[in-house]
Amino acid sequence: MKIIALYNIKGGVGKTATAVNLAYLAAQSGYRTLVWDLDPQGASSYYFRVKPKVKGGSKELIAGERELDNLIKATDFENLDLLPADFSFRNLDLVLDARKKPTQRLKKLLQPLSDSYDFIFLDCPPNISLLSEAIFESSDVLLSPIIPTTLSLRTLEQLKKFIKESKLKDLQLIPFFSMADRRKNMHKEIMETLSEKHPDMLQTAIPYASDIERMGLERMPLGGYTNKSRSTEAYQALWQEILDIIKLL
Amino acid sequence: MTAPPLQFELPEHMAAKKIISRLGNKIDFQIVSEQYAIKTFYDSLDWRLYSADILCELNQSKTASYISLIDRNSGECLALENLKEVPRFSSQFKNGSLKTLLDSLLGIRALLPLCQLPHQVYQINILNQDQKTIVRIRLEEYEGLDGRISLQPLKGYEKEFDRVSMLFEKSFELTPTTCSILNNALKLQGRRAKDYNSKLAIKLDPELRADKASKVIYRALLKAIKTNEAGTIADIDTEFLHDFRVAVRRTRAGLSQIKHVFPDSVVAQHAGFFSWLGQITGATRDLDVYLLNYKQYITALPDSLHDDIAPLYAFLKQKKKQEQTELANHLKSQKYIKRLLEWEQYLKEALPEKGCSNAANLTIKELADQRLWKVYKRLIKEAEEITEDSKAESLHALRKTCKKLRYLMEFFQSLYPDDEIKTLIKALKGFQDVLGNIQDVDVQATSLKKFSEEMMVNKVQSNTFLAMGVLVQNLETMRCAARKDFAKQFSLFNQEENRTIFKSLFAPQVDIKKP
Repeated sequence: MKIIALYNIKGGVGKTATAVNLAYLAAQSGYRTLVWDLDPQGASSYYFRVKPKVKGGSKELIAGERELDNLIKATDFENLDLLPADFSFRNLDLVLDARKKPTQRLKKLLQPLSDSYDFIFLDCPPNISLLSEAIFESSDVLLSPIIPTTLSLRTLEQLKKFIKESKLKDLQLIPFFSMADRRKNMHKEIMETLSEKHPDMLQTAIPYASDIERMGLERMPLGGYTNKSRSTEAYQALWQEILDIIKLL
Repeated sequence: MTAPPLQFELPEHMAAKKIISRLGNKIDFQIVSEQYAIKTFYDSLDWRLYSADILCELNQSKTASYISLIDRNSGECLALENLKEVPRFSSQFKNGSLKTLLDSLLGIRALLPLCQLPHQVYQINILNQDQKTIVRIRLEEYEGLDGRISLQPLKGYEKEFDRVSMLFEKSFELTPTTCSILNNALKLQGRRAKDYNSKLAIKLDPELRADKASKVIYRALLKAIKTNEAGTIADIDTEFLHDFRVAVRRTRAGLSQIKHVFPDSVVAQHAGFFSWLGQITGATRDLDVYLLNYKQYITALPDSLHDDIAPLYAFLKQKKKQEQTELANHLKSQKYIKRLLEWEQYLKEALPEKGCSNAANLTIKELADQRLWKVYKRLIKEAEEITEDSKAESLHALRKTCKKLRYLMEFFQSLYPDDEIKTLIKALKGFQDVLGNIQDVDVQATSLKKFSEEMMVNKVQSNTFLAMGVLVQNLETMRCAARKDFAKQFSLFNQEENRTIFKSLFAPQVDIKKP
């Protein structure tokens, strides 16, 4: 089982769309896949038409009073399940803080699922907090969507610094460009310079595209309503790149 | 991750379209697809999957083709793989859970299609208010068989599933079934599951006249011969020929060991035929054994000789092909068909009011007691005479006696208490194994020498002969080990406990004279 966290300090960078679409692709190729919607906004739950409600809320969940397996919902797609969000997840930080070894907590909760799934995608809320640290501790890969803007460079460097300082040796950071608009010169320029500075950046960039935005209307992963487009091809290529890296881990 | 589906059998009058239209008034749903499909069930001839409570089905439609292994009792899917054609052997499947499961159950047996069921399949999703699927439905409408509807629960939607299944039970008056459509299809073919097993299971009435009971035994053996005939000719897997030969050998043993129940002329007429069948099938079976053992040969050789032995494999394959063609021609010949028919005819004929001899007029239990006790005593005598210096011929003769006793015990198994006769058969089997090993390695070593002469004509490289020499040496070592094991295995077979059971089951009862 590999745990892939979709993470960025900033919001609105395409975390949820990436988590949902990559999870869909993984499931389509036969991997038993789970998406855990950790964001109290519940966007990935919405995309899968699952009510953002967890019995007992964040408190009972973190306390381990309910097994994660009992909270999981099947999506409409083969091999793909979802652990929905709950509005109480806005307090996850506080709940974690009240426990011993808070940063180890998620890892411990996810452990029993290791026989049931090949991939778990964590759709994380945008911020840097105790929850983020717990996510970093439990994940194998930190997949970080970067919008090609000047501010993003700073964010990525901050994140790298944080990972280094926290001595998270087992965590592989994989950044990639998201919501890239090739018509904007600034996007093009930044993508070129950033790629030089950060050779670990994936080759594939996910475009800013209307068919991805339509996910909110269709309430399903891109592949559920679009057969072949520039966006679906980009996600395919991105997933292949990630799989190649994961195989080496 | 997937819970097993709940299945219902549809009554004859209930068409799929009718169900769907009635469903429309009660629940929100979406028809995902409607298409023509073919379901084909597979198993080995001896039902190895079914016996392990597993069904193997290939589902083919325009858009998909997959093979799945299903738990026969719960309906749970144990393994699934996209596949267009089903390979004959488990070794030919891709690595994965499906192959692992098939390997462990099928061994060397081939997968054969049992029956093919064309049907119309509807995939329906039951939806909630958010248009989220909460239950998946598969509705199958067959030609000539009652339809099936299966409800697939989805994780996290158990309550919704209960509501939907209640709806089917109440509104459509359906009751869940665990009986597979395979059983219905077999019934339609006039067959039933597990209708072939290579083990003999003949139920005899102890009071039945010996000649009549003998016919019951021979008829069961004839059935086995006929069941395996086509697969032997087509060389589907090596077990067809093996079982065919076993049935032939058992018939021969019967004709020589269940003495005097038929007129001598009848026995003389048919014994020759079965002896001929043994001869014409022998060479092919021997080659099958070498080919099956080939992996073991390789492992026994040092790594450096692995490539050198490869020409032997090619030679064995080629030779097997030739022998197989010849064997198939024999089994398709007029001689074979005519002689087998004559035997079948004789077994069908009614026996005269009075048996042809004293033995024929005994009850089968009386005759079985006599024959088993006599052959058992002969076996013990022959085995006790074996010393370290005994010649191969004496061991071979003893092996033949063991086989005779074994076959007789298997024919008459139903006449004796199950536990006790099984204990004896098991003990005898252990003893037979050591005798079999001694002779098999002997035969194999002799054959390898003979093969090498034939291979020399084909200008095979000298390294191959060197490797074959090592194989012969290995076989000799194995023969010595088996020979040394003989005394131990005989004393195990001849232990007090077994002797007591043999005596109590088969020995004549001594009359206690009244004072």
